[in-house]
Order: sequence, then C-alpha cells, then structure tokens
Amino acid sequence: MKFFTRILIGASLLSSLATAMAADPAVVEKSFFPYKDGVPTVDGLVPGTVINAGNADRFQSAVDPVLLQQIKDGWVEITVGETTDFALHPNYISATEAGSVTLGATAGEIQNFVAGRAFPQEPDINDPRAGEKLAWNYQYGYNWGDNAAIYPFYWRYRNLETSKIERQIKFNFHFLNWKHRVNQDPVPEFENNPSNLFRSIYVQVLEPFDVKNTQLLIHRYKNDLKRDDAWLYLGFQRRVRRLASGQVTDAFLGSDLMIEDFEGYNGRISDMNWTYKGTQNVILPFYNHNDQALTLEFNDPDGYGFIDYHGKGDCYANVTWQLRKAYVLESASVDPNHPISKRVHYVDAQTFTLPRTIIYDRKGEPWKSWYICQAHPDHHLAKNVGTGVSIDDCFSMIDLQAKHCTTGQFKGQVDPKLNPKSLFTVQNLRAKGR
Amino acid sequence: MSNTHTNSRTVARYLVAVASAAMLASMSMTVMSGDAEFAGFVENATFVREDVGLSKMRNTVQLEVEKMFDQTGSFSSVFISSTFRATYDAVYDLNDKDYGKNAGGSILLEQVGIPPGVLFPGAPGFSPALVPHGSGLPLPGGDFDNAVNPNAGFLVLGNHLHPTDGGVAFGVPQRPCNIDSRGCIDGYGDSSLNDLRFPEFNGRLDFMRELYIDATLPLKSGGEWGFRFGRQQVVWGRTDLFRVLDVINPVDFSRNNIYDELEDIRIPMGIFTAEWRGGQTETFDDLNLQFLWKWEKFRPNILGQGGTPNIILDAGSFFRGMNNCWDNGCTVANFAGGGVATDFPQHVIGIRQANLPGKWFSVSDGEYGIKLEGVFKGVGFSLNALRFYQQLPVLRGGIPSDNLFTTEVESQPHDYLIAFDIDFPKVTLFGGSADLYVDPIKSVFRLEIAHTSGEEFANTLRPRLFSESDVIRWVIGWDRPTFIPFLNKTRAVLLSAQVFGQHLLDHEREMAPLGPIGMPDHKNNYLATLLIKIWYMNDRLSPQLLSAYDSGADALIVSPSLDWLINDNWRLTTVFNVKFGKGAQKFSDCRTCNPFGPYTATPLHPDPFVGGDVGLGGYEPLGRFLAGPIGMGQEESEFQVTLRYRF
Repeated sequence: MKFFTRILIGASLLSSLATAMAADPAVVEKSFFPYKDGVPTVDGLVPGTVINAGNADRFQSAVDPVLLQQIKDGWVEITVGETTDFALHPNYISATEAGSVTLGATAGEIQNFVAGRAFPQEPDINDPRAGEKLAWNYQYGYNWGDNAAIYPFYWRYRNLETSKIERQIKFNFHFLNWKHRVNQDPVPEFENNPSNLFRSIYVQVLEPFDVKNTQLLIHRYKNDLKRDDAWLYLGFQRRVRRLASGQVTDAFLGSDLMIEDFEGYNGRISDMNWTYKGTQNVILPFYNHNDQALTLEFNDPDGYGFIDYHGKGDCYANVTWQLRKAYVLESASVDPNHPISKRVHYVDAQTFTLPRTIIYDRKGEPWKSWYICQAHPDHHLAKNVGTGVSIDDCFSMIDLQAKHCTTGQFKGQVDPKLNPKSLFTVQNLRAKGR
Repeated sequence: MSNTHTNSRTVARYLVAVASAAMLASMSMTVMSGDAEFAGFVENATFVREDVGLSKMRNTVQLEVEKMFDQTGSFSSVFISSTFRATYDAVYDLNDKDYGKNAGGSILLEQVGIPPGVLFPGAPGFSPALVPHGSGLPLPGGDFDNAVNPNAGFLVLGNHLHPTDGGVAFGVPQRPCNIDSRGCIDGYGDSSLNDLRFPEFNGRLDFMRELYIDATLPLKSGGEWGFRFGRQQVVWGRTDLFRVLDVINPVDFSRNNIYDELEDIRIPMGIFTAEWRGGQTETFDDLNLQFLWKWEKFRPNILGQGGTPNIILDAGSFFRGMNNCWDNGCTVANFAGGGVATDFPQHVIGIRQANLPGKWFSVSDGEYGIKLEGVFKGVGFSLNALRFYQQLPVLRGGIPSDNLFTTEVESQPHDYLIAFDIDFPKVTLFGGSADLYVDPIKSVFRLEIAHTSGEEFANTLRPRLFSESDVIRWVIGWDRPTFIPFLNKTRAVLLSAQVFGQHLLDHEREMAPLGPIGMPDHKNNYLATLLIKIWYMNDRLSPQLLSAYDSGADALIVSPSLDWLINDNWRLTTVFNVKFGKGAQKFSDCRTCNPFGPYTATPLHPDPFVGGDVGLGGYEPLGRFLAGPIGMGQEESEFQVTLRYRF
C-alpha cells in the first residue's frame, strides 16, 4: 500500500513539475501573436491619419506625452500606418515553448532559462517583479537574432534649431549572441566561452578621419551580476583602452547617445530597478522599409535606400508609425550617481524591442526623446526576408534641453558571414586598427 | 643626408620589398573588389617660443590609402595600407637667424681664471675673461686651424638655458650641414637645409610612413593567423606618453620633443609580424601570440640636430659641438686648471663618429620580438620579449686619440678621455602589461613593466666613461571618467594620471672631493602626469590640461590646450606649453679625469699617472641627464596653433 502511495505521490509531483516546466501554448501564442484576433484601435486613428498640432489632443491616449508635446509644438507630424504582424522566428518561439523560467532571489538572477522568451505570460501589475521579467524578455529577446550587423550605419549630429548637420559618423555595428541561440549554428551556444559571455557588440568607425578606426567592444556576461567589460581602440593612439563603467553612461563620441542607450537599453538587468507601469496601445515607429520615402544620398553600392529625415531640425525619421500594444516599463538606476534618473520604455509587446524611450535627467525633467524604428524583415533587404528579426532601421535621439539631436540611418543585415566570432575579441581591435 | 650610393641602395631595397609584397598580393588574390579608400589632411602648425619668436611653421600633407581585397584563396582578408606624409617647415626660411642659414655667430667662452701655479709649478695665473673661440690657451699637442674652424655660426653650448658658471662649454655650429658641415656626424645628425625643411624626403624615404600588406588566414580551429609585412608601426603596451613596452619603433623627437602624439613621431620601420589569434580558449577569453622581425636596418631615435628648434635634452647640440671638437679642434671654456679657456687640436677630445649597427634583412643580426597577449578572467595582459638595439645613443670612450701634451700623434686609447664614438648596444627586454577595471572606485588601471639588460649609460667612474646597467621601468596609469557638474552637467570629465618609474639596477655614483662622480642618471626616478579633459558642444570643443612632473629634475610642464572641431573637415588646436622648475643641473664634467697623467693630474689625484675623476663639474655636459627632457626644455615655453583640414 505504501508503495502505491509513494508512486501516486511521485506521479503527482512529476505531473505538477511538468505542468510548471511547460509553458502554456495559449500563453505563448498570445505573447507572440497579440494581433491574431485583431489589432488595437483608437477612434479616428486609421491608417493614413496624419497626427499634427491641430488634432494631437484627439489622439493623446495613443501618443506618449513627450511625443505628443512635440507634435503639438509643431515639431513633427506623424503619419499613421497599418498595424502589422511582426512575427519573430519560429525557432525563437518554439524555444519559448520548451521551458519555464523563474527569477532568482535578487534582481539580475534568472533560473532555468535556455532560449526564447523568458516570461511569455502577460505581466501582472500586482507582481512586484513584473518589470524585471519584462526587462529579461528584452534582454534575451530576438533583437538582431543570433547575430547581425548594421553595415553601414550613419549617425548625424544635428542642431535642432537650425537643422545644421554638425557632424556625420559612419560606423559598422556587429552583434553576436554567444548563448541562447536558436537559429544559427552553433545552437544553443558556442563552445570555448570561459568567461560565460552572453552577448557581444563590436563597433568600428569608418569616417570621418579624426575618429576613423575608433573601435568599441562590449562583452556582456551570462551572469548579470558581473559588470560588462568594454574596450575602446583609439585610432590616433593605436591602443586598446579598457573602458571604465562611467564611459558607458557618457556621450558616445560626442553624440546624444550614451553606450547604455544602444538598442533602447544596453546594460545589465541588475543595474536598474524595473517597474511595470501598465499596458497601453500607442503609436510606435513600425513599418515596411520598402514602403517608406528613402534617400539615396549615401550612394550605397547595392542601391539601398536609407530612411530619410524631416521635421524640426530634420531630427525625425520620415516614416509611418503603427498603433501597437506596448508595456510601459520604467527603469531607474540603482547607482545614485547615474546621470539619468529614469527611463520610461514603451516595450513592443510582440517583439520585445524598445522602440520608444523617454529619458529623464537627475532632476526628473524630460531630457531626451529616443526612438528606434522597427522595419519588417520581409520588406527589407532580400537577405533579411524570413529571418524573423524586427530590423532596427533608424533612430532619433533628441536632447530636449540642449536642442540637439543625433539621428541614425541603418542598413541592417542579418548575415552570419558578417559576424564571425573572431570579430568580437580584444585582439581584433588591434588587428583591425592600423 | 646620406650619400647618393646609400640613398640608391635604400631605394632599391625598398623597391624590392614593396614589389615582393605587391607580387605576393597579386598572386594570392583571385577576386578584387571595391575601390581604394583615400583619406588625409593638410595642416599648418605654427609655434612661437619665448625669447625666440617663431620656432615652427610646419606645413604637412598626409595621405592615407587603403585597398581591401575580397576573400582570396585561403585568406579571409587581405588589404594594403599606406600612409604618406610630406612636410615643409618654413621656420628655416622665416627665422633663419635662429634656425637656418644665418643662425649663430661668433662666440666668447668663459674663463673664470686661476691663480699662479695651478697648471704646473711656476705657471702664471690667468685672469677672468671672455675668450673668443680660437683664442684659448694652446697646449703642446698643437692648436687648431681657425681658418677651418672659424669663430662664426656658433652658439655656446647650453647658453640658452644656463650660464657657463665655471663649467665647460664650447661652440656649437648652428647652420644646416650643407652650409656649415662642422659637427655634422655622418648618418647621425647631418641634415642639410632641405633635409630640415622637408624632413620626410631623405635617404630612408620617410615620406613613406607606412606601406604594408596585411593578410588573415583562418584556421579550422576557429582561430586565425594574421600576417603583416612592410613599413609599419607596431605598438606594444597600454600607457600614454611613456615608452616602456612601446619601443618597437624608434621615435622622432625633433618633430615636437615629447609632446606630439606617438603615432605622428614613431619612425615606421620595415617589420614582419605573424600573429596567431586563438580567440577564446577553454581558459582564456582571448589569447594571441605575436612574433615580429624588424628587417629594416636599425634606426635610432632622432634627437634633433644642433641648430634646430627641437633638440631633446639638447643632446644634438652637445653631439655637434663635440664632433666639431674632434674633427676640427675647439676652444673649451674653463678647462685647463679648471678655469682657463683652452684650445684643443683635432682628434683629442670630442665625438669621432656614430656607429650605426644592423643590416637590412638580416636574420642573424636582426631585431626580434615575441608577445603573448590575452584576456584572463576579465584582465587584459601581455607578456613581451624583445631583442633590439638601444635607440638612445651611448658615448663609448676609449677610442684612439692623441695626447694633448705630446707633439707626437699617437692615436691610442686613453682612459678617462672625453673622446667618444656614438654606439647603440643591443639590449634584451622582458616585460608585461595588464589592465583591469576596479568597480568600487569606477576606475581603470593600466600597468606596464619592463626589465632591460645591456643598456649603457654615461659613467665617469669607468675608464671608458660608460657602463652597463640593467633597468626596470614601469608605469601605473589610472583613468576615471567623472561627472563634475560645475564643469559640465551632462558630459563626464576624463581624469587620467600616470606614474612612471625608472630604476638603474647597476647604478654607480660616488662622492669625489670636488663633487659627485659616476652615473649622472638618477638611480631611481619618477615622473607623474595628469590629464584633465573636458568636452562641450557634442565633443566639438574640448579643453584639456596636461601636466607632467619629473621628480628627479624637479621640473614641471603645464600644457593647457583647446581643441575645436569646427566641422568634419576643419580642426583648430591651440596649446600653451609652459615649463617651470629647477632647470639645468650640474654634474661632473670629467675635466678632472686626468686622462693624460701626469700632465692633467690635480693635487687630488693620489697617483698622478693614474686617471680618475675627482668631480669638478658644471652644467655641461652631463647635467642634462639630471635635468631630463622637461628641465632641459625650461626656456622653451611655447604657444602653439595648429589648423588642420581633413579630407
């Protein structure tokens, strides 16, 4: 009898464990396909609507407050496009279905994560760690897939008042996931990774001459409690310099971005206190690249057209925005000396990219208005079709206080050949340098 | 500069090397794509020096050309990179009274005088006087020919910095070597006016600052081999300003002393490097092994020639004056008896020649290095070894010379005689470096250390007036970006400090009756630098303060500057370079070394037939090693304006 009791108890425990381990397919389905049963709507906000100073108040529920003010001030008009499905790669989705993840005891700790979306469940406003879970979903998101390159990448420093382009820098950016890979060999991770790296970013400056050959390498560790390592190669010094953490929260090459701003947020989970503030349907810069007004001014050898800019100071990407479901996520630095008091992110619920962020200074005043355009991969370069990667396609970082902006025009390429792992070593900085 | 045969041989060697590289490239490349990339700049650098006026009007054109090739054969990447630079320094035309064809003039040399009986029993006394070059006390060995070595085109050694003050001094010819060949050492400080105006156009083809082919060979293991062949800069180490491990390429201090970026003053050399890049291993985050072979014939640091604006330690002036003494004879202030201006005939004292070692493409006599570099548990590190020629000159005494007090021409070595050849011994370096981030204090630390054996230093305790010493040099660097709200609310200020230490492990110095003798270099010396750099206007305006302090020399330089990036093409930089401190310093000058005993013996020599230094000294020539480059530049404070247009 005792024997059978033990078997029943064991079977029951196993069943419970299995239930806990396997994510609910319906939850996963809802997380990755939020528009399956219909797209969000706001009265009067239909594709083709132009939101401008005259009608902005009518759509204030669908526009974040900083952008709304800019529209009302006549800085920019936003043309609304159709809300479209940005389905991520099936392998990433199926990896989500394979397991269940829990948070550790302290922020920055995560358990049982293999790949895919860590927490596909809808966030609960009553869950004190809901914000942290959303942050993990972003951190382990399919942002640029297993690897990708922005090749090339043009940044322009502009005067918001005069539209003068003060500086133009041409980069190549490369991204590589060492772990949690779902699509490209090796899956799920590289061997010989003694420091347990999670992700690396390599940046190379191509122009202009004074910063040519400047290179940046960032290593982020699987252990989120371990601080990132970063190195900078300065062309005129011909040396690799290790970066102090302070430099990742400083203006990068004089732009309006800090390294920590890359991709919306480029840091550790444990560096911030994360708070989920609610779910909102807002307009976000999602579109089909090939349907936008493109500029050929960079004379790309492949004839690729880059996103163009307009509006006040030419600081705004001339693209259509979609009404999308977003999670409002607030991040406040745990470091009291951080130059930013908080960021408010509008996390796209389907892709878990960070297309829209409002940055506040230490006094709590809005400091910077930051957005990263997202282009559908199937309407972009041929090599991006079918990759299931929401393509970062343009950006605008407006310093509201300094009346200055930095814009970014991307040629994003999901192409493993552009991102061999040898690119992401410190020695590569020296080898690529002169 | 060098003779025509040398030039043509050099050109031929380079052509062979470049042609080989090009052939190698073309043979291995099956697919070529893309156009060559061009970049460069034109620049005017105008410097004004206190009490002098215009000290530099340098106009530079630099062109960088790079050609990438697609994956070819086994190589994943192949490219050719080149940098060409042409300079015209108009200071030699606009300020020719200080640095050109009209520089210098007639000189008077100090004679403090001596009482009767000092030179020898019964000898008359000598009154204090200022003695023209060529009118000193003649000695039995003969005088020199004033027609060959006239009192013209001279400055007194060191007098821009200090009075003679009872020490030794002599005339230093100032004019370019095609105008006045006196003191021009063949192959080492023999620049003509055009060589000085157009320094890149010389026998070593310095206008070709870099020209190399780079190829990467991927390995099945995931690593790769990188090869680079040609004229290039190879940079080791992690520190700024100080050259502890960054000693592969010699340096041209004549461009702007120690104050230009090393990239601009390293003298590119013909080097082959082969580098295994292992990447991540089971243990290391990154692991690499580099081998290098310098196949270009040795080149020393360029220290600046007598009669030019930038002469580090004023060594080039000393060399030129000493070579004139050897070749043509000279008048030396306060020499005989320690107080009489004395005429020396040729081939008695001075510098005879520079012996430049090394050969082209030499395997047996080449310079080699090996470096293991990587990242381990987040700490970057390197282990370095280099066998190379010392790039700073050493004066080796003991060359055959004539006894001043005999009428015969003996041509034999004399101990303790200040008659030298310039040599460059071969030395061995072992060292390492590391960098690490210390999170609690938000700081990066950079460490570098090197031990060298075989270096030689001036030493008046030794009969040939030099000796070897092992040396340890190290640097600790600290970098911290720090928000200082009253300077900039939104952009961090870079604080960067370094401490450099140098220790001569076989240092020799004693106190003789008249002063210290032995090695003038400090046994232990420390320098510290501090950089404070601020950015405004999206980094287009950047003031900075750079200061350096030499503890042994008690010399300080403060250099505030403002860098304005007007747009992507134009850049304006203004710099004040101001020195403070003790200035020139004194050390034994070996007047009392008694090389020709008993004639040169003093009552302080226990055996008048045995040479040895009893310590009488002055500012020249060895005090320069105590004063260091900052102290010796004490009177060279400048205001510098550089305007650059990039394309």
